[in-house]
Amino acid sequence: MNAKDYYTEHRRLVLGVFSVIFLVAAWELLLTYVFPVNPFFFTKPSLIAEAFKEQVQGAKLWHDLAISSRAFLWGFSFAVIVGIPLGLVMGWRRRVEYALDPFLTAMYASPLVALAPLLIIVFGVGVLGKAALVFLLSVFPFVFNVFAGVKSTDALLINVIRSFGGTDKDLYFKVILPSTMPYLIAGARLAIGRGLVGIIVGEFYAASEGIGFAISQAGDTYRLPDMFVGIIILSVIAVVLTEAMRRLELTVAPWRAGEEVR
Amino acid sequence: MRRPLAKMPPFIRANDITLVFKSKNRDPVTALNNLSFEIERGEFVSIVGPSGCGKSTFLNMLLGLVRPDSGHMQMNGTPIKGPGQERAMVFQEFGLLPWRTVTANVELGLELKGVAAAQRTQRAMELIKLVGLNGFERHYPHELSGGMKQRVGLARALATEPEVLLMDEPFAALDAQTRDLMQAELLQIWERTKKTVLFVTHSIEEAAYLSDRVIVMTARPGRTKQIIDINLPRPRDYEMRLTPEFNEIKSRIWEVLKEELIPGSRR
Amino acid sequence: MKLKTFCTEHESFILGTGFIVILLALWESVPLWYTLPKGMALFFTTPSKVAAAFQQLLINGEIEKHFYVSAIAFLAGLGLSIVVGLPLGLLMGRSQTLEALLDPYVTSFNASPRIVWLPLMILWFGIGIWSKIVIVFAGAVFPLLINTYAGVKNVNRVLVNVVRSFGANEWQLMKVVVLPNSLPYIIAGLRLAIGRAILGVVVGEFFGSSQGLGYMIASAATNYKVDVVFVGVAIFMALSVILTLAVKQLESRLASWRPETAKTF
Repeated sequence: MNAKDYYTEHRRLVLGVFSVIFLVAAWELLLTYVFPVNPFFFTKPSLIAEAFKEQVQGAKLWHDLAISSRAFLWGFSFAVIVGIPLGLVMGWRRRVEYALDPFLTAMYASPLVALAPLLIIVFGVGVLGKAALVFLLSVFPFVFNVFAGVKSTDALLINVIRSFGGTDKDLYFKVILPSTMPYLIAGARLAIGRGLVGIIVGEFYAASEGIGFAISQAGDTYRLPDMFVGIIILSVIAVVLTEAMRRLELTVAPWRAGEEVR
Repeated sequence: MRRPLAKMPPFIRANDITLVFKSKNRDPVTALNNLSFEIERGEFVSIVGPSGCGKSTFLNMLLGLVRPDSGHMQMNGTPIKGPGQERAMVFQEFGLLPWRTVTANVELGLELKGVAAAQRTQRAMELIKLVGLNGFERHYPHELSGGMKQRVGLARALATEPEVLLMDEPFAALDAQTRDLMQAELLQIWERTKKTVLFVTHSIEEAAYLSDRVIVMTARPGRTKQIIDINLPRPRDYEMRLTPEFNEIKSRIWEVLKEELIPGSRR
Repeated sequence: MKLKTFCTEHESFILGTGFIVILLALWESVPLWYTLPKGMALFFTTPSKVAAAFQQLLINGEIEKHFYVSAIAFLAGLGLSIVVGLPLGLLMGRSQTLEALLDPYVTSFNASPRIVWLPLMILWFGIGIWSKIVIVFAGAVFPLLINTYAGVKNVNRVLVNVVRSFGANEWQLMKVVVLPNSLPYIIAGLRLAIGRAILGVVVGEFFGSSQGLGYMIASAATNYKVDVVFVGVAIFMALSVILTLAVKQLESRLASWRPETAKTF
């Protein structure tokens, strides 16, 4: 009776959890009992868990994460510092919009990750090269989302503020900022995803430390459990950051829950 | 319109209809409770009642989209089990497919029933003419005004030649003038086509103006509170709405409905 | 007078192209007003040198060879993601059970960078076309799946009721309401998927290939042939812009029944 009620109420959750448990169990059992494992090409959850425990207790994982985070934070911070003002100016000044739009749109549409080898060679395998790549990939979502946010400001609301005798300051803080905010956060969410791609590709390409390097090195030396540990940790970080941004979006702009921006 | 003396079964009959909404995290809500009435062929009957009394849900039941938890619905002596050709609905929000032109929207019902393309286009043209939309055949819904959209909705419902038109607050989304115009046109079309109409509305005036009988429903759970005959001559026109007789009928409906709208006044 | 009205009418075009032209001219003129130190000069090139390199690579057939390899991986991966993503998105939109079962994977894979799987794909499929196709597929399938799903979920209840009231079955409902309603979403998904697919091709060829435009870029960079790097980057840029514009064109054509074109940001 109770179990049945619980199921009907939390059907989604129950089915989701069941599906994950089933998959992990099937993976483990199939590789243990049905197919003999070639440990150089396949691995199973129990071995991954073991490697995970080992890595978490060791120092290298934390060192790698710190290295990658540093490059990421540098690049990302510069993207914020450059991207937001650029987006604001484009939204406010029509001529600036006209001048920059085709160029920036082309840059945004392009796979700038193609510049990775050049950036790494020019700026080196350390923080700078990776940070440059992260910057280049994550700056455009900020520019375009802030731009779209300013543009989306309802002209009627501007008139409302004006009709009550509001100043420019009121206009910026009571209308433009609140309507841009959700776009900005959505932009940050996209920028995080792209920035992570930058870090990973940069470290795959040439590095001597960092989580991306750890993954590719584990692959080169056929240490599959270690590789999965790296992949899972990176994926979890990505999911957590993205989900945090989604929550933040709902917190600052509960009135537009569910609306999507690119 | 009264039933002949020979004991014919009523055209539409709803008997002891009960419907309970069960939703998670909430107590079940009884939407309709022992609702019963009968409608004759060719009658124009309106249903008025407080918001949330289950009027629209009831129409959806007659349409065959919602099943009652208990009770029987019959039409022409056969039970209603699902959607059928003899019933068609005009929706409050128009329900036009935005990616289809006026003609393609009017053809929808015929298309779903597998009528050949040439035939259904011809039928659609006739109906577009009937509702006065000639010249707009190739327009998309977003290019039409609210009144025009509802004309498309009406044409679409009539296209499949149903015996009964179910109308769910069809004019509620229109402005007052368009509304008056559409009411007059609906009466004309009704008198020409002699369909049976079941019309749900919030407006006492609309109900009194259009109908042969008005069913007043109680607040939730909804059931029939009183059925009021509108013995006004036809054809009716706008001037009739200014007569004392008309206003007397309006206030009679209001007296009945009032008790349901104002909490505590129910006897 | 006439010139002035021309300028105001085409202001956006003039300013837009003007900016790009000035940027290129400035870049070209750098060696004229600044002598780069030896170390930097190695990494520097100008638009004219890039154009010359492009011409040469075009003549000796280099570009054609690499382009062909990249195009195959792109088309195969994108095609596969359409074949898988659309039906799965439709099914997830119509079946709550399937939605609940697959949601954990779709959400987490979509939120995480699929590129991290590349070393594993190379390990499994080797250096060559298959690891690229898989990584392109992994990148492109989720925007398609999720947008299709969103389109199905966003169907207006009233329209569903209208069609049902005419006695439509599930298949007719799909054809008459669900699919047309999802189409703009699917096209928007396609636009995102193309971007992801190109990213997959580029990165896949950096590491898992000995041919293709991505490989051309990576190997040119190692040999300090900066102009060749820019040739590769420019080709990818041009392809992305052209494909994106083509899909946007398709989007606005399909959305002729809409009061305004769908939000693109």
